[in-house]
Amino acid sequence: MKKNIYQPIEAVIEDVRQETAAIKTFVFKPKSPFSFRTGQFIELTVPGFGEAPFTPSSDPAIAEKLEVTIMKAGKVTAVLHNMKKGDVVGIRGPYGKGYPLDKFKGKDILIVGGGVGLAPLRSFLYALFADIDKYNKIILRYGSRTSNDIVYKDIIPEWSKKKKVDIMTTVDMGDPAWKGNVGLVTTILNDLPLDLKKAVGVVCGPPIMMKFVTLKLLELGFKPQDIYLSMEKNMSCGLGKCGHCRLGKFYVCKDGPVFAYEDIKNMHDIWD
Amino acid sequence: METYFLKNEDILRFYALVARDYELYVPVKAETKLKVDCDYQFKLPTVDYRVESYPKVDKEKIVFSEYRSFEPIRSFFTRAKEKVADYFDPSADNGTERPLAICGVKNCDLFSLKIQDFVFLGGEEPDPIYKKRRETALIISSDCPSFKEVCFCLAFDIPPHVSEGFDINLSPLDDGYLLDFASEKAKKVAATLKDILVKAESRQLHLRNIRRDAVVKRLKEHLSHHQIPKKEALQEIVVSGLDSPVWKEQMQTCVECGGCVFMCDTCHCFLLSDEPIGTGNQRVRSWDGCLYKNFTRVAGGANPLKMRYMRLRNRYLKKFDFFITNIGFQACCGCGRCIDVCPGKIDIRYILRKLYEEKHLSAH
Repeated sequence: MKKNIYQPIEAVIEDVRQETAAIKTFVFKPKSPFSFRTGQFIELTVPGFGEAPFTPSSDPAIAEKLEVTIMKAGKVTAVLHNMKKGDVVGIRGPYGKGYPLDKFKGKDILIVGGGVGLAPLRSFLYALFADIDKYNKIILRYGSRTSNDIVYKDIIPEWSKKKKVDIMTTVDMGDPAWKGNVGLVTTILNDLPLDLKKAVGVVCGPPIMMKFVTLKLLELGFKPQDIYLSMEKNMSCGLGKCGHCRLGKFYVCKDGPVFAYEDIKNMHDIWD
Repeated sequence: METYFLKNEDILRFYALVARDYELYVPVKAETKLKVDCDYQFKLPTVDYRVESYPKVDKEKIVFSEYRSFEPIRSFFTRAKEKVADYFDPSADNGTERPLAICGVKNCDLFSLKIQDFVFLGGEEPDPIYKKRRETALIISSDCPSFKEVCFCLAFDIPPHVSEGFDINLSPLDDGYLLDFASEKAKKVAATLKDILVKAESRQLHLRNIRRDAVVKRLKEHLSHHQIPKKEALQEIVVSGLDSPVWKEQMQTCVECGGCVFMCDTCHCFLLSDEPIGTGNQRVRSWDGCLYKNFTRVAGGANPLKMRYMRLRNRYLKKFDFFITNIGFQACCGCGRCIDVCPGKIDIRYILRKLYEEKHLSAH
């Protein structure tokens, strides 16, 4: 029988972790093993309501479980946020090309995340940790709106303890309990402990944040081909057929969702 | 290629024989409001054709269509709305459909099928529903002995008669038709028609050429009034025309009905959505259109194509930049259906001409 490209496989919610008021991490157990490369995305079905695209945030080496960190933002995610352990969802994919890990060997990797944009970067970090000897240095700079909006609060300190890893976080708006940096994520991109000659930047966050981080990295001397961006579009089919996620000559679903800035910098509307 | 002659009085037998093995669709005349009149003395026909189910149609109403039908050919291969999956049962499928035979297909439609094929058969994985319909279908094309005011295929070097991509082609003569049988599928059909087909004579082939040339000449003259840019210029003028005033100017009359995208032969966009059915759910694929406000809206509300003029421009970038870069030709076959259907009189020929003039004929 031919494979039906539109059909999801069944997955059961095994756990739900509240990250922030609007963000939850769901642990899914697919009925059959489901593997993905870091940076690839899936279409998640909420039965009866529809699909939405998400990039898994879990370790890509683990095929029997899949974690997805999801912000309540639209119709599908609102229903999903009311779902509980034991509920059934559907999964299609994985789609897209993901992060070009081969190109990062021997590099100083600067990872810049904004808000829930840290979710795909978490899976990327796990992929790097798994092969840590291949990379020179991992520098994570993470910004969120307030200290209440920080995701993976318990996990980030553990990452900090790893060798070759340097982490700094910031919040746009401080509060009495917050002892760290206050300011946009671009304010913690100065004096980075990296060698520009072998540095790459990997950015994921809201479009406005990616725009200013990209401008900052260019100003610091990063080359356009060494800046990797996760482009947000409303991917529907995941296979370059439905037409929703066109970005210039590309479809974000099949050619991305991660793009080198070099390949998209001349397009007129990439930050919209 | 084998070419035969079929007498006028045998055409119904031809249809009847095809209908034995195929779900046959045939052209009939239709009264529609899709009329764009000439503003000069060219007396072009304004009748429309629709393609209807052969078993259901009154056989006396079947005609030879002089130009493309009003429905786009893609409507036979992806339906406006249809179920594409049940979840989560992998054994479920859309059931068995009889193979399609579609009459009244014109060369513009065949050009468009190349785009539909690229989308639905190419890429990472083919669409199984499209693939099955496409592979089993019998495409019965025909020459255009005439054209509508809105027809502009020839502006993009697509002639109003076929050369490839069909199974059987009909060319009308006075007392009958010349039938070309191009594919293996077509030859099987030819074998069942032996007693009513006679080998075409060279005089008949010659007459066909004369008629084809006459239509081309007349269409050229008609198109000279529209000054549509050549296909080689399309990508350049659309890409350089991002800030052209033509987008806003033309969208002043757009009522966002979506007619242009749904009537378009080359448009292919769709949306997947889920509906409850019985105790389960089904996934539905519906045609979608990039001129609709929410086409590019993401969760949370951000929308890169907020304004109507942005969406019109985006449509032209898709047709004349994306496709030319990715497959080497434009996603427009010159069928003119979008002009016919538009209540706001938005005209692709005018937009392309304006873009060309702004790029190449402006004072600066």
